[in-house]
Amino acid sequence: MSILTGPMRFHLDGQKELTAHKDVLTLPEPDDLYIPLVNGRAACTPTVKEGDAVKVGQQIGEPSDAFWYVPIFSPVSGTVVGIEKRMTSMLKPGDHLHIRNDHKYAKVQSFKKLDYEKATREELLEFVKKAGMAGLGGAGFPTFNKYTKPEGIDLFIINAVECEPYLTADYANSMANAELMREGALALLKLSTAPKGKIAVKEDKKDLIEVLHKQFDGTPIEVAEVPDIYPAGWERTLIYMLTGKRYDRLPAEAGCILNNVSTCIALGNALKNGMPITDKYLTVSGDGVAAPQNVIVPVGTPASEVIKACGGYVGEDCLLIAGGPMMGRTIPNDQFVIGIANNGLTVLQHREEFSVKCLRCGKCTETCPSGLMPVRINQAEKAKDIDTLKKLSIMDCIECGMCTYICPSKLDVTEGVRRAKRYMTLVK
Amino acid sequence: MKFTFNPSPNYRNEQSTSAIMKDVGLCLLAVDLYAVIYYWAVYGAQYGMRVILLTLAACVSALATDAVFYKVLKKDVVTEMKSSFSLITALIIVLISRINTAYYAVVISTIIAIFFGKLVFGGFGQNIFNPAAFGAAIIMGNFAGSYNADFATGATPTQAAKAFGWMIPNGQFGSFISEYGNLGTMFLGQYTSTIGSTCALLILLCCVYLVWKRDIDWQTPVFYIGTVFVEALVIGLMHGAGLQYALFSVLAGGVIFGGVFMTTDPVTTPVSLPGRVLWAIGAASLTLIIRDKSNLSDGVLFAILLMNMLTPAIDKLFDGNQIKDAAKFRRNVLIGGICCVALTLLVGTSVKSKAEQEASETKESAPASAAAPADSGASKEASFGEALPMSYNFNANKASCELDGKEGDTIRYACEAKGFGLVTNADGDYSLNKAMVVVDAKTGKVTSVNIIEFGDTAGVGDAATSDAALAQFEGKGLDDEVNLVSGATFTTRSIAAMAQAALKTAAEGGE
Repeated sequence: MSILTGPMRFHLDGQKELTAHKDVLTLPEPDDLYIPLVNGRAACTPTVKEGDAVKVGQQIGEPSDAFWYVPIFSPVSGTVVGIEKRMTSMLKPGDHLHIRNDHKYAKVQSFKKLDYEKATREELLEFVKKAGMAGLGGAGFPTFNKYTKPEGIDLFIINAVECEPYLTADYANSMANAELMREGALALLKLSTAPKGKIAVKEDKKDLIEVLHKQFDGTPIEVAEVPDIYPAGWERTLIYMLTGKRYDRLPAEAGCILNNVSTCIALGNALKNGMPITDKYLTVSGDGVAAPQNVIVPVGTPASEVIKACGGYVGEDCLLIAGGPMMGRTIPNDQFVIGIANNGLTVLQHREEFSVKCLRCGKCTETCPSGLMPVRINQAEKAKDIDTLKKLSIMDCIECGMCTYICPSKLDVTEGVRRAKRYMTLVK
Repeated sequence: MKFTFNPSPNYRNEQSTSAIMKDVGLCLLAVDLYAVIYYWAVYGAQYGMRVILLTLAACVSALATDAVFYKVLKKDVVTEMKSSFSLITALIIVLISRINTAYYAVVISTIIAIFFGKLVFGGFGQNIFNPAAFGAAIIMGNFAGSYNADFATGATPTQAAKAFGWMIPNGQFGSFISEYGNLGTMFLGQYTSTIGSTCALLILLCCVYLVWKRDIDWQTPVFYIGTVFVEALVIGLMHGAGLQYALFSVLAGGVIFGGVFMTTDPVTTPVSLPGRVLWAIGAASLTLIIRDKSNLSDGVLFAILLMNMLTPAIDKLFDGNQIKDAAKFRRNVLIGGICCVALTLLVGTSVKSKAEQEASETKESAPASAAAPADSGASKEASFGEALPMSYNFNANKASCELDGKEGDTIRYACEAKGFGLVTNADGDYSLNKAMVVVDAKTGKVTSVNIIEFGDTAGVGDAATSDAALAQFEGKGLDDEVNLVSGATFTTRSIAAMAQAALKTAAEGGE
């Protein structure tokens, strides 16, 4: 009954016009690249050592875990300098493979091309695993793991929504590589064993919708337009919008499997051209960078190089965010590198905020996509009221930032929920 | 280059709390402006100015209370006051006062509202009670006698309805509401009540504006006003009143004003939507129960204050996950709502209109007098009840006088007035009561009253026409009082109305 619940979503000003229709800049390659050996929970041991020559596409890391299995490949040709510890965009230190670029771009084909239509499901699955495909929507989850034992899947969903403000990387990538997107999408559809699929895109992206129709009309994948709201690109909200179903832990409970559109494009490239993920579409945007635009950068490029190529910083005090402003993290320096799971650098000029007391307006509660009650969570956390916190299902919070966005008193509502989560884990 | 660290998110919506309060304040000023214009146009510049001055008095008191409080606490006064939003409270207090409320009453109530109703709780956002309702309850409770008589404008619709026992049967509705025009003029605010609560149209337009701008949610005002309407409709139908009565219940008093400006106070109402819906239903139910059963003529303020006390409990009731616990919340609203409505309807069954009360009184005395001869009642004994001031508002009786003759200071008036039958539109053969009232123009007192024609219930109302009953008018002036004749109160009033009309006409020196 929508009398008793809020919309659990909200239209944000997406600021997409800053970058959506500008030319994509291919970054002049940096002299030094630092390829992260750890992508989220997928760690690799290097397969090359100091002094080795490497070529584009050559495997340089072998995964150390059977589940978190994402092999990594060199994005440039050059010489391995060694392994260095640097801070990652997860704000944790991690090992990086330092490669000195020889700018020759000598290539090697990483793996054999594959015709997904002719291959068996097992062959296709093995291909996805060995090609280092990971969730390029930002999570970096090993793609093959979603498809090991699909059961009762009746809908395969491609997420081309990109609801995070400022980011247009998926959009630019899709417009430029529509054929590869089709290839990868149909391959994943086959892996999912679903009878049909939907590619979800925001209804205001008229040109992309046209492109999608051209690619997918006549295939089992149909184009599904979704409203321009946040967080339409979140798995749970998207599945609810497309199917009306809610699930507990995995989308498979609702009969769905979901992958990001850039992941499809990467897979398409691997199948058709035998090449792994070496470069990323990245949106550099915000009022803190001189020339906002989409860029194509090799994995391992330091953020400082990217900003330099986009005209440098504006202002003296900025928030350098890895990702978009809603869910991206501010990083206290620009020395971190672009990894396979990064989609954007949002640079915002830092302004002081004037916040007043909570007026219990309930907007946070009405817009929370998980159906939580952030104002009650904040109150209970301040009072250290464990019993109430237990009732408020705080672990369902994905820290999407909607509560802080909508709060008219300009409070740090999301941070209060984070504190509550930390407090709960401590007390338990 | 400084890279500031700030946990996500780093993006905010434009709408701020000050912007919300500004919108609400603008709407309140619009309602205030309407009051200034109405009182100025209908009652004159003095009345219009009084609205302006009362508003200023309240606003200055509110700001002063804030300033002194924060100064004493050694806080930055300007910063604190910018986020204290006390002018909203001040404006509401003025709009729920009457035009003849004394200045000092408004000032003291505002100070108490801001200080005890908000500041001592910790300031904005921390108070339990709606500060304006809290302050207004103080005016009503403690300064009831402080009204400035120069600015009287008659009984409010709720006071009049209270006198009627809050039940006006369909047949009598037309004459009852003629005091205020009709439902249409009430909707447009063409009458006086509390300063701000009359123009329903303007207030509802403000509600639409505030909902459109996402300053308030639509559920609370709709469920509050809607529940008052539905409950009044059902209670009315139980007693022979219909749609008109229900609409009157919504238009009279503070239902619409309170519904739009006071139940929507986010600080003192539940945080979640199902909580607000249940709260609104509860407040509506209490409004009607207080109206029907208590000494107060309007229940809005106390209903809101009582529900404010329940807000923390309601919040706890609806703690959870809105998706996973949706069914539980729906059930809680349904059960709670049904209980509130059922209780109100139960209370409503025992509501009696004044006419019903009188009828049961007269029915009791009728058997005793049935044995006596049914002539003009000159032989009946009259037993006297409550005092009736000669200055009483006899508007309903529509008494009129015609000069019959004059000998020096002695003036004779042929008068007529409506009695029981015509005032209450009762079934049966009724007509105007007619009397010859003789007054002494010099002393301003009645010399004698003689009945010419009796138009009320034979054998019942004529107890008021006995020699003893008429004799009580002798020597009485406008400042004196007579007594109601038990079992014939309507007829007594009818006669008193004629006597009053005669005295007034004589005092004005004429015909």
